[in-house]
Amino acid sequence: MNSTNDTKELISILEQSFDIKDFTTPKKNEISIVVDQNNVPTILTYLKDKGWKQLSLVTCIDWIEENKFELAYVLFNWTNGITFLVKTKIDRKNPEYISIIDIFPGARYYERDIHEFFGVKFEGNSDFEKPLFLELWDDKPPMRKDFDPLEYSKRKFPDRKYDVELSKNAVKEVIKEGEINERT
Amino acid sequence: MKELKLYLGPNHPGMHGNFSVHMYVDGDTIVRARPMPGMLHRGFEKLMERRLWMNNLALIPRICVPEPDINEMVYAMAIEELTGIEVPEKAHWIRMIILELARIANHLMSLGGIGGPVGLYTGPNWGLADRDLILDIFQEITGARIYHMYIVPGGVRKDLSEETIEKIKSFLDYLENRLPEYEDLILKNSLFQRRTKDKLLLPAEVVWELGVTGIGMRSAVGEAYDIRKVDPYARYDQVEFYVPTANYSDGYTRVYFKYLETFQSIKIIRQVLEKMPKKGKVWNKISSGSALRWRVPKGQVYTHIECTRGEYGYYMVSEGEDKPYRVAVRGASYPQGLLGVEKYLPGTRIEDAALWMETMGVCPPEIDR
Repeated sequence: MNSTNDTKELISILEQSFDIKDFTTPKKNEISIVVDQNNVPTILTYLKDKGWKQLSLVTCIDWIEENKFELAYVLFNWTNGITFLVKTKIDRKNPEYISIIDIFPGARYYERDIHEFFGVKFEGNSDFEKPLFLELWDDKPPMRKDFDPLEYSKRKFPDRKYDVELSKNAVKEVIKEGEINERT
Repeated sequence: MKELKLYLGPNHPGMHGNFSVHMYVDGDTIVRARPMPGMLHRGFEKLMERRLWMNNLALIPRICVPEPDINEMVYAMAIEELTGIEVPEKAHWIRMIILELARIANHLMSLGGIGGPVGLYTGPNWGLADRDLILDIFQEITGARIYHMYIVPGGVRKDLSEETIEKIKSFLDYLENRLPEYEDLILKNSLFQRRTKDKLLLPAEVVWELGVTGIGMRSAVGEAYDIRKVDPYARYDQVEFYVPTANYSDGYTRVYFKYLETFQSIKIIRQVLEKMPKKGKVWNKISSGSALRWRVPKGQVYTHIECTRGEYGYYMVSEGEDKPYRVAVRGASYPQGLLGVEKYLPGTRIEDAALWMETMGVCPPEIDR
């Protein structure tokens, strides 16, 4: 019971100090907030001090109709078991954002992952010199909604034509000629 | 001495899947290491966006090869949270049996499998033979040995029969007597002890820095940080079990913890079989119409469970359509498998690299998903 009171207090502090656009509880023990993109590092630092010491996941969602990318940071508190989702939206055109590796060093490869699959650049995370997952990739980032894998694979791996055409009786003819032993 | 570049992998060196590490070595010591994932990338996250909710059931178990059931569980949990459907009481208990059997199977495989990198080849043979007995039970319950597609959103596919329950009970009795032999064979072996004791260390600061979870975290931090205890799902809050913890995480502790956790899983399954309701439904429909027309209400949710390597989670976004809008997978070994390899594999010796991977619990299929 104590932990719920603590969380309520924490949320009221967050609401007072930051511009929180949306506050929901998607499930038991889970809090989700949508914040302005400039506030994310401050909020993550604040939550880390309050016990959300583990960064579980950083992920990206492509809202193509809104022309936005949504970044979601999942934090977990091991003492009270509450998951915190901090979400923010950034522009889809020339997507750039601030890296959080100073706060959570473990975010480094999540950011690289998002960079490769969505094309979001993270300022401060310099480790993009060589592709990690997608070597020799020559198309737009594949997890974007406007990337069509079927079209890509048809272009990249065109259907081959086979010159040899077997007639319907080909197998029988071979057997007749005695090249393959007929098993009856 | 001249620096050499060597490759670990991309076959399976102490792991379950194709993954490569480029190691720059000076003599026998690794100076720099570069993880090279991507050889097993099957594009699951993209595929899931293009398939029906029902279709995905056959796809998701393949994300993590040695322990497929956790995927079914998080997927089902996420959909249940979004639709708000109630899971029948009996289904919760059956799910726990499946998850714990899968945990034992995975622990047996890695307890035996540790024999590979240390050169104790009786280990893998024993481990796989005993794991096969669990696969037999799975086959009886679900019809499949590895990929079960048994835990579905809204419950489980089918009820357990009396004979299966008897079979599980006799298997647990067998395993409880059998496990001490593993201790004699592997954990007490002086070769194994010399290779792992006071080596392959994982200090607590590194755990927090990388975000390592599971056995690695619990053996270093000294707290019972297990999602089954901290944020219980299914009916884990109604069973008693003990989570081993320590303040010193070397290779030996982490392997020993797998051994200890297997006993706890046996204890959990015994309690489940006792407490499980005898009769009742095992599945509630999640949406009206046939399974091909399932729709999940709009929303975003993150669900997570404890797998053998740590926290395993799905971030799911639904737009109220017949397909998911986006699913992101949090593989349990992502932190130690990528940043961990880059930062903390250097300093170990070449022959310990595979052992490092195995005791840290790196599982490439969930990194390349």
